[in-house]
This record gives sequence, C-alpha cells and structure tokens, in this order.
Amino acid sequence: MQNFSQLKQEFLKKWLKGLKICSSPSKKMGILERKNAIKLSADLAMAFARKGRTYWSRAVIAKASRNSNNDMTLIKNASKQRFFQSKKIMKRSQNVHRVLLRNKSLSRKVLPNSMAKRLVKKRTQVLKRLVPGGDQCLDEVSLMRETLDYIISLRAQIDVMRCLAGAK
Amino acid sequence: MESSGVTLAGSTPVGAQPGEPGLDSLQFGEEIQRLMAVPPENASSFTALLELPAPQAMELLHHAPDPDRVPAMANLSGEPLHKPYPHQTFGSSLTFLSDPALIERAAKYSVFAGEHSPETSSVPSNSSANLEKVKSEPAETDSNPNSSQPLVSDPSVEEKNQRPSAKRKEREKKVRKLKQRGIDRLGFLGFPFLAKFDKSRFQKSEIDHHFCKIQAKASSKKSKNESSQDAQKLPYVHVRARRGQATDSHSLAERARREKINARMKLLQELVPGCNKDKMPLNKIDEDPSFFPSGTTNDGSSVLKSQECNSVLLCDLDPSRSISGTALVLDEIINHVQSLQRQVEFLSMRLAAVNPRIDFNLDSILAIDNGSVMDGNLPNMVSSVMWPEFPINGNRQQFQQQWHFDSLHQPLWGREEDNQTFVTPENSLLTYDSSANSASLHSSQLKMEL
Repeated sequence: MQNFSQLKQEFLKKWLKGLKICSSPSKKMGILERKNAIKLSADLAMAFARKGRTYWSRAVIAKASRNSNNDMTLIKNASKQRFFQSKKIMKRSQNVHRVLLRNKSLSRKVLPNSMAKRLVKKRTQVLKRLVPGGDQCLDEVSLMRETLDYIISLRAQIDVMRCLAGAK
Repeated sequence: MESSGVTLAGSTPVGAQPGEPGLDSLQFGEEIQRLMAVPPENASSFTALLELPAPQAMELLHHAPDPDRVPAMANLSGEPLHKPYPHQTFGSSLTFLSDPALIERAAKYSVFAGEHSPETSSVPSNSSANLEKVKSEPAETDSNPNSSQPLVSDPSVEEKNQRPSAKRKEREKKVRKLKQRGIDRLGFLGFPFLAKFDKSRFQKSEIDHHFCKIQAKASSKKSKNESSQDAQKLPYVHVRARRGQATDSHSLAERARREKINARMKLLQELVPGCNKDKMPLNKIDEDPSFFPSGTTNDGSSVLKSQECNSVLLCDLDPSRSISGTALVLDEIINHVQSLQRQVEFLSMRLAAVNPRIDFNLDSILAIDNGSVMDGNLPNMVSSVMWPEFPINGNRQQFQQQWHFDSLHQPLWGREEDNQTFVTPENSLLTYDSSANSASLHSSQLKMEL
C-alpha cells in the first residue's frame, strides 16, 4: 500500500505539471476541450508515473505524441472517432454473428471445450483492445501483466481525481 | 515415475548424516532384507554373507570407519586403505554410488568370511557397542516399517536429490575407475578370490537393476504422495510431469505457460471485485454453450450485452455464487477496466466542469502535497484551491442565486451526457449537474465581469 500511495503522489505531481503546460497556450476553452485536456494530461501523467516500463504506458505516450502533432483538433474529434469506431465494430460483430450461425448450422455439435476456448479467445481480444498497447502483447502472460498494472494505475488515477473533484 | 522413485529411495542412505549411525545402520538393515529377496542365482557371492547370523552380517556391512578394523583389512587384502575411501569421499553423493559400494564391500566381506572366518568373528570384540546397536535395530524395522525412509521429507536430502545429473554421471565414472583400479591391484597381487570377485562385479549390474526395481516398488507409494511436494520445491526443474502427463518439452513448456497465466489470473481475480474464487465456483457455465446465446460474446461492442447476460445468468442461478472459469473472469476484468476508464472520463469531465481554468492553484498544491494525498486534510486544501476567488470577490451570494439558472442549461447537459454515455447512479448525476452548472455559470459570470 505504501507503493500505491507513492504512485498516487507521483501521479499528482506529474498531472499538475501537465495541466500547467496544457493550460498555458489557450486561455479560452470550452468545457469539452477542457475535459479532454484534463483527461489527456491525466493519462500522460499516469503513463509517466509508471516510467514507461510497461507496454500500455508507452502506447499512451506514443499516441499522445502522435496526436500532439495535429494539435487539439484531433482531440476534439475524439468523440466522433469513437462513434465511428463503435459503428465499425458493430458491423463486424454482426458479420461474426452470421459466421457463427453458419458454423453452428454446419456442425450442430460444438464441443463444450472448444466453445469455452473460443469464448476465452474473444475476451482476450477485447481486453487487448481495451488496454492501451495491448496489441503489442503477443502472449497472454504479458497481457495479464499489462492488465494488472493498468488496473492498478487506473485506480490510483481515479483516487486522486476523486480527491480533487469531490473535495468541495 | 519409476526413476524418481529410485532416486528417492536410493538417496536415503546417502542423506543419512554421519552423526546418526542409528539411521544409517537401519537403512543398511533394510537393504539387506531387500537383497535377500533377490533371486539366488544373481546373488551367488552373497550366499556366504547370508549364511552368517544377521547381526554379524549387518555389522560387517555397517560402515563405521573403525580405526582398528580398517588396517586389519588393509593388511589382509594387501591394498592400502582403498576400500573405505569411496564411501567416505563420495559419502554425500547420489544413489548409484552407495549401492555399488555396498555390494562390492559385501562381496569382499563375503569372500573374507568364507576364507577367514575366525578373523570376522574376532572383529566384534573391537566394536561391541556397535554390535549392540545393530542388534537393537531389526526389532525397530519390524515394528515400524514406515520408518524405513525417515529422511525422505528432510529438505537436506531433497537438496541432494536436486543435483544435476551430469555430476552424478561423473561420479559414477569415478567410482568405476576406482573399482577398476582396485581390481587391477588385486589381480596384480594374485589373490585367489580374484575370479570370484570379478564375477560378482559383472553380476553387479544385474543385481543393481533388481535392487532398483525392488526399491522403486517399495517407495512408489510414498513417492507418489511426495512427488507433488517435490514439484514445488525443486528449484531447477520448474515443471514436473505427474502421472499420466506428457513429458516432452513442448507440453512441459505449455504447462509452464498455463501455470503462469493461472497465477496472473488469480492475482487479477483478487484485484477485480466480483470474481471471488473462494466461494462456489461456476465452472459449468463456460463449458456449456447453451448458457450463452450465440450473439452475446462475439465482439467488443457486445460486451455490454454479455455483461447483461452475465448478470441475468448470475441472478438466475444464485446471487450468492461468484464467478470462476476463465471466460467469466475475463468478462469481469473487461468490465472492470471499462468502468475504470469511464470513471476517469467522468472525473475529468467533472474536473473540467468544476474548474473555470485548467490549472488549479498549482503552487499551493505542489507545496503541500507531499504526503497529504492520502490524508484528510486534502479536501480542505483542495477546496481552498478550487474556489480561490470567493473570499476575495465576495460573490458567494451571487453564486447562490445562480442556482436558479440551472434549468436553462439543463437540456445542454442532458445532451452531452447522452454523447458520453456515462453510467452513473442518479444521485451522483444530480450532484454532477448542479456543481458543474454552477461552476460554468460562475466562470461565465466572471468573464462577464472582467
């Protein structure tokens, strides 16, 4: 737990610095911009607090640096992008659904073991997509490690943010 | 399985420490009893030994470095102190070693016993205490057969077991060389029993074979129980095949990988709330395809659906039960990560809404924050940071009045929340609305004033 609080402090320091940097160029910001800036700085601070040791932190930093080239417009478009993504995923999922149905019609008897394996595979894919930098994890062991680390750091982040937000 | 049993059984007399002659001789007694079970055609050189009364034979076999006896034997055989050394120098070594040494010695002694029987009978006078000890032993072995391997669970013995097999081979070679040298010397001196001894040496491999088999039989039951413990304790063999498992390198590696994943999974299970494995496991769910409708688990977009499905399932089955099974644990992890990410989003939104400007009063926070993150004084500090203008401008009353304008901005907030799809309880939404609206109004009013 000592480690956890240390992580929190580290995160807070880095986050506040990042906020200072973010806030300086543009004085006028809409609430969405502000929110995005805060989130971006928080994520970056979290990634830097982990010192780039893990895949996900490196992925976050890389993504942020890619985005920062195109300035804030990309960040503004983030919500649109996500919507687009989810549409794509929906379409793909329908496709997969159809394929699954066809498979089922072909072979009625699906072994329960293989079914469980498929379920696990699907879930690991989803998890890879959720955890930043999960695509670089080639095996499940590293994916699990990344997920553990990511969850812990997210918790620290949330704790600190809640402290700041729920303080009034 | 048989090989491990052999190593276990064979290493027991070796592991007996020199300070415990009782255990040592007990082991030898056991071995003699086993040797008696060897078919007689193989043990032609032992017949002389077996004809002796049991305590004497054991005394002969019992290897106590007796200062009086050794020179006598050395004088007899004409070779200088060769015989006791293998056992002393390699006393801590592995299985193969002690047994050949024992058998060789037995062969020699038997020959001696056949030729110089008065000599052997005169030996016990030197070590009468030893003899008494040996006499007391057989009763123990009869009454307590389980104590035949008392040191198997001893960690020191197991450590000795864990020596690399290369070393073992080297030692075997060494022992063979030594024996060869001894035989050569014997032949050089032209002893009459050379032919016998040599014959016994050639039979030795067969005898060893039988010996190992018998020992394996005797110890297989015990070693079955101990193999699982061994698998955990062995440092250099990380994976060990149990009975019926494949032993080729691929499956071993696969098993190691699976164990790693399982360990991580356990950690995650402990971390993520909701999948507590200590309670009743629901292993059947992920094995039975009928539990999941086919469309629920296909892709990332349908995670929510599967979540619903899970909750429905769990409610249907038993609310007190918790989740096990890899797929469901993964589901829980996914949900947890998603909820955490949403929480971050929500909190950043809230912070953005609360604060008129992005940078809070940084210097004050940075000045104080060392060690205060976890403490209770953070809220006070942060509140002073959040609303630094209040005491200065004195427009708290204005702020109070602005609550009336909340209704104007309500639709806008509702729309935004639809976009963000926050999943939060209603009361938190309410507080979120009020605080955020007031903050934004406050900021706008400040701008107006400026």
